[in-house]
Amino acid sequence: MLRIGIPRGLLYYQYYPLWSTFFQEMGMEVVTSNPTSKAIMAAGSARMVAETCLPVKVYCGHVIELVGKCDYLFIPAIRSIQKNVYNCSKFLGLPDLIKAVVPKCPPIIDVDIDVSKGKVSLHPSSYEIGRWIKPRPKREKEAAKLAWESHLAYIKAMESEMVSPLEYLSGQKPSLASQGNEHFTVALIGHPYNIYDEFITHRIIHRLNTLGARVVLPEMAGRDLLAAGVVKVVGRPYWTYEDEIVGAGGHYLDADVDGVVAIVSFGCGPDSTMIDVVQRYARRPGARPLLTLTIDEHTGEAGMVTRLEAFLDMVARKARRRSA
Amino acid sequence: MEAYLGIDVGSVTTKFAVLDEKDELVTSLYTRTLGRPIDVIQESMQKILARLPADLVIKGVGTTGSARYLAGVVVGADVVKNEVTAHAVGASHYIPDVQTIIEIGGQDSKMIIMRDGIVTDFGMNTVCAAGTGSFLDQQASRLNIEIEDFGPLALKSKSAVRIAGRCTVFAESDMIHKQQMGYGVQDILYGLCEALTRNYLNNIGLGKEILPPVAFQGGVASNVGIVRAFEESLKTEIVVPPHHQVMGAIGVALLSHEKSMDNGGTTKFKGFGISDMEYAATSFECKACTNICEIIQIKVERKVIARWGGRCDKWDDING
Repeated sequence: MLRIGIPRGLLYYQYYPLWSTFFQEMGMEVVTSNPTSKAIMAAGSARMVAETCLPVKVYCGHVIELVGKCDYLFIPAIRSIQKNVYNCSKFLGLPDLIKAVVPKCPPIIDVDIDVSKGKVSLHPSSYEIGRWIKPRPKREKEAAKLAWESHLAYIKAMESEMVSPLEYLSGQKPSLASQGNEHFTVALIGHPYNIYDEFITHRIIHRLNTLGARVVLPEMAGRDLLAAGVVKVVGRPYWTYEDEIVGAGGHYLDADVDGVVAIVSFGCGPDSTMIDVVQRYARRPGARPLLTLTIDEHTGEAGMVTRLEAFLDMVARKARRRSA
Repeated sequence: MEAYLGIDVGSVTTKFAVLDEKDELVTSLYTRTLGRPIDVIQESMQKILARLPADLVIKGVGTTGSARYLAGVVVGADVVKNEVTAHAVGASHYIPDVQTIIEIGGQDSKMIIMRDGIVTDFGMNTVCAAGTGSFLDQQASRLNIEIEDFGPLALKSKSAVRIAGRCTVFAESDMIHKQQMGYGVQDILYGLCEALTRNYLNNIGLGKEILPPVAFQGGVASNVGIVRAFEESLKTEIVVPPHHQVMGAIGVALLSHEKSMDNGGTTKFKGFGISDMEYAATSFECKACTNICEIIQIKVERKVIARWGGRCDKWDDING
């Protein structure tokens, strides 16, 4: 059976159900790397130039872990998934970047997804997978249809059943929907590859829960409200995945939560501009308090914990005052 | 007499404060951490005990600072609080209407914005130590000046030298350059004070609404040169509260008093006898997964009392 490797990094958290279902339904085995660990991060950092952001380094580590364990790697180049909205250059060049630095790299299925150019979309029926895999796999159309259904089911579970992507993908029992209401609520915003990578963000959801906060996530707001958030803050979207920071920020800073915690990557170009507009938006009177945490590979747990604790003390006191 | 003890174990210095039941300061202690927090806590507890009236009973203990968890298990703390909250509580005790708190310590600096007695915003320096006490310490010793004389000398400056304060490395080479050009030491020193405040306001103060009264605390607030530089750039009076060096310790002592009121006065305090106990910190690598976490164990009289350092809960249960 043909083995397709999908690294557990970057867009894994958005599209794993889509892509894994697609390949499995065509009769292939899907292998993925283990959750990020110190060894994975170190292996990736050692191969990448210093200027790349942490999530790309971590992704590279996941690819290295899959070397020898799969026949093909699935690393699409996602240029645009929406007309006239662009992606970070590291996503555009991801397959080439990986090919250049990973020794003994298996052949890469580098589907060029570019909705602005109008050919290939996220829907797997447009991938033309036969260009990489010969003979062309059977059941491709049907697999694409089933894959799209599982993608929609994934989005729906996050939007309406408050399942966190982490829990959905690892098959854990959803816990966020049953969080107690006696505490205050904190919205955690950022790219999924940061906030759901328990290694690089030091189990932040668990930590917020332990500190007494009920956590809501960008995906739970739903795509429409996130898109409205982007429009509210910057007018027209420019970056792909801008909704995860600008959209979620615009939505939650005005929503019924007690505070917003934003995670951004150090050295990320798009993040640095996105978080700036969110911080400006947060200065408007009446906006919810915002804490920005910038992470890189040296991010110690202690610094993060101190900031979270101080922020939650502040949020708790404000919430108490509001209800008094 | 009932009293409350606050301990602030920072990266460079360790601070102690004892408050009576009216929250008045009974005694305080400011000492270097010397990279040996446990030893320093043990030694300092002896010194504090010697200064206290015989009838004094500690009814609550709080710890703060970057070693707050460690200090907490060593002394038996009722409250373990982060530095931001501790400093905010301490400052508003002395200046009830304070709206801005500038706090500069050995290796970190922060700004706390308060409105109506609660923290509404705060900022902390990230990885860079430019604009903290350690930097001033280093430069003073390079110029062969006692850190205590730094401020008074800087105030004698007639025209400050502009020094690039964005980064300590550049600041140092800039300073050497200016010194070799023949500028007076007091002008260089005041130039450093301006560089530090500029760096602080451009980084931590960025986008913050700085309203008076402004309190300035932490070790660096002892430097009158820095106080003057802040007053000039903010164009407002800077209040250095009494006991500003131990404000974090006072804040956490106040919080332990509050806690004691809530829980009926029971304390976990292990007593001043801890000075004679044998504490040891050992570490080992956990090989259960590829993270290879370094687990630290704190032992008292050979019994493990706390463990941390893991990325998961595996070692957190000390009875396991």
